[in-house]
Amino acid sequence: INHIVHNGGLYKRPFNEAFEETPMLVAVLTYVGYGVLTLFGYLRDFMRQWKIEKCQNATEREEQKDFVPLYQDFENFYNRNLYMRIRDSWNRPICSVPGAKVDMMERVSHDYNWTFTYTGRVIKDIINMGSYNYLGFAQKAGTCQEAAAKVLSQYGAGVCSTRQEMGNLDKHEELEQLVARFLGVESAMAYGMGFATNSMNIPALVGKGCLILSDELNHASLVLGARLSGATIRIFKHNNMQSLEKLLKDAIVHGQPRTRRPWKKILILVEGIYSMEGSIVRLPEVIALKKKYKSYLYLDEAHSIGALGPSGRGVVEYFGLSPEDVDVMMGTFTKSFGAAGGYIGGKKELIDYLRTYSHSAVYATSLSPPVVEQIITSMKCIMGEDGTTVGKARVQQLAENTRYFRRRLKEMGFIIYGNEDSPVVPLMLYMPAKIGAFGREMLKRNIGVVVVGFPATPIIESRARFCLSAAHTKEMLDTALKEINEVGDLLQLKYSRHRLVPLLDRPFDETTYEETED
Amino acid sequence: MNVGVAHGEVNPNTRVMNSRGIWLAYAASVGVLHIVLLSIPFFSIPVVWTLTNVIHNLVMYLLLHTVKGTPFETPDQGKDRLLTHWEQIDYGAQCTSSRKFLSISPVVLYLLTSFYTKYDPAHFVINTASLLSVLLPKLPQFHGVRVFGINEY
Repeated sequence: INHIVHNGGLYKRPFNEAFEETPMLVAVLTYVGYGVLTLFGYLRDFMRQWKIEKCQNATEREEQKDFVPLYQDFENFYNRNLYMRIRDSWNRPICSVPGAKVDMMERVSHDYNWTFTYTGRVIKDIINMGSYNYLGFAQKAGTCQEAAAKVLSQYGAGVCSTRQEMGNLDKHEELEQLVARFLGVESAMAYGMGFATNSMNIPALVGKGCLILSDELNHASLVLGARLSGATIRIFKHNNMQSLEKLLKDAIVHGQPRTRRPWKKILILVEGIYSMEGSIVRLPEVIALKKKYKSYLYLDEAHSIGALGPSGRGVVEYFGLSPEDVDVMMGTFTKSFGAAGGYIGGKKELIDYLRTYSHSAVYATSLSPPVVEQIITSMKCIMGEDGTTVGKARVQQLAENTRYFRRRLKEMGFIIYGNEDSPVVPLMLYMPAKIGAFGREMLKRNIGVVVVGFPATPIIESRARFCLSAAHTKEMLDTALKEINEVGDLLQLKYSRHRLVPLLDRPFDETTYEETED
Repeated sequence: MNVGVAHGEVNPNTRVMNSRGIWLAYAASVGVLHIVLLSIPFFSIPVVWTLTNVIHNLVMYLLLHTVKGTPFETPDQGKDRLLTHWEQIDYGAQCTSSRKFLSISPVVLYLLTSFYTKYDPAHFVINTASLLSVLLPKLPQFHGVRVFGINEY
């Protein structure tokens, strides 16, 4: 399915999102692949049970065989027979900071990935396409690191107290004012953990008698926060505005389930960029719907803050909208700022309420001072307040990298999901054997990628996910693309049946980036 | 509610039978089984069809109505551990399209088999017994039922 939306004035630039459907032959072969793996899994289990083959799993002691079993055999089936075989593509130990290039420890396995031994060699300078490093702040040395080291010697490593007791440092106040200025909102509050920002604050905002409309593919933290709050949760199809409008209409017309009373609040939960699909939320339409039906919007910009928009202010700036339209702007500092933690921005009354009633303000420790300094330095760099144009250069480099990389991959004939402007690039692999093969072949060619398969994805949609970074130079991208091309030919991954249509009718405005012609 | 996961499903097993291309893969695998049996030289046509029918029903019974739970860990705290795959389809909603497909395909195979065995009484008994064994567990009344406590835990 290919959406190119111009939509009469709501969108100031074409919104180009594509999720090409699985080719039928590939789907059938994928099922055959899983079927063969299941058959061999049963065969190996049989041989292990009859002691023909050595069992490498954890088992109970002989004396306890008559007790109620401690381990569920069948739940471990996939783990034993499928995951263990390709386990060397995940959890690889690294020896350097995961920037644009990373050093990895070489490991071999003599018993088919049940145990690993380290050869002692360190593979140097692997191009890192798997870390969330959108603006390249994951560096070992630089202004951010020096500032953070100074603050570390001044303030110490940890705070050991909650925000409301003794953990409120002047650094935190400075950070929150900076975040509010960065986003263009009245006030902001910062928390120690990005996951906890969602799961601890949604219960403070909504409760029983409220309605939460959440996207199908929302992150676990949003789902957990929604469940903890006690509100009714209804799910709309991913990025589908007709589904959302139908749910809103039904909610307002019918009210609460039994009593038919009106809902106390309706909160729409969406994310800026969805990390596994690479799609961007249709924010103009969501805001139009929100205003029409008088509900509230909670926008989780974990991946899009710093990565979208001409000056890196996130998905709101990318669409040219006003931040006042979004009621609760949440984001994390993990991906683009090279730090840890999350924030919530919004009106002053909202943030003052959260300072009193949020669970993490009362029970969780506040951000650690060197981390705060890293965020402050990197945010000032992006905004240009440190006197250089490094920040703006990084944002533009990321946008160029995104456009270039996605276009080259599509030209080569791979199936790529997601929006044209999102720095998360899922490349479809489909078959289970290709998941392991792709990970290993890319490592042989010195490129590190993240691959995911069933059950983390739907059964026919296994993928490799590339995360682009402003720290990737064009040479690195060209090397990576050359290797991906080779591996794609070797593994026959070029499934796409569409040929790329060059974008000719884009309106030229100041937000157009330079396109590198090749 | 899983971190690092590309869908919102609690139990991915429920959606496998709805995925694109699985009905075609199912029909194709029955076809392949039939062709393999046809290539064995000393089986006559009625025997081959009865064997296809019986093997298909046996494998279907094993995979859909005997094996319980999921081959991977799910975050639903074990709600589906005691349910067979048939009971897990679409989280227990009855008469959905995949359930209808999986109920109709043994019947179609049975009709074809009865035709090709020329309605011979011995083949009839075997095929009908096999069909009943695979159709009865699919009735909505039999959802979660374990006869005589067989296969309960």
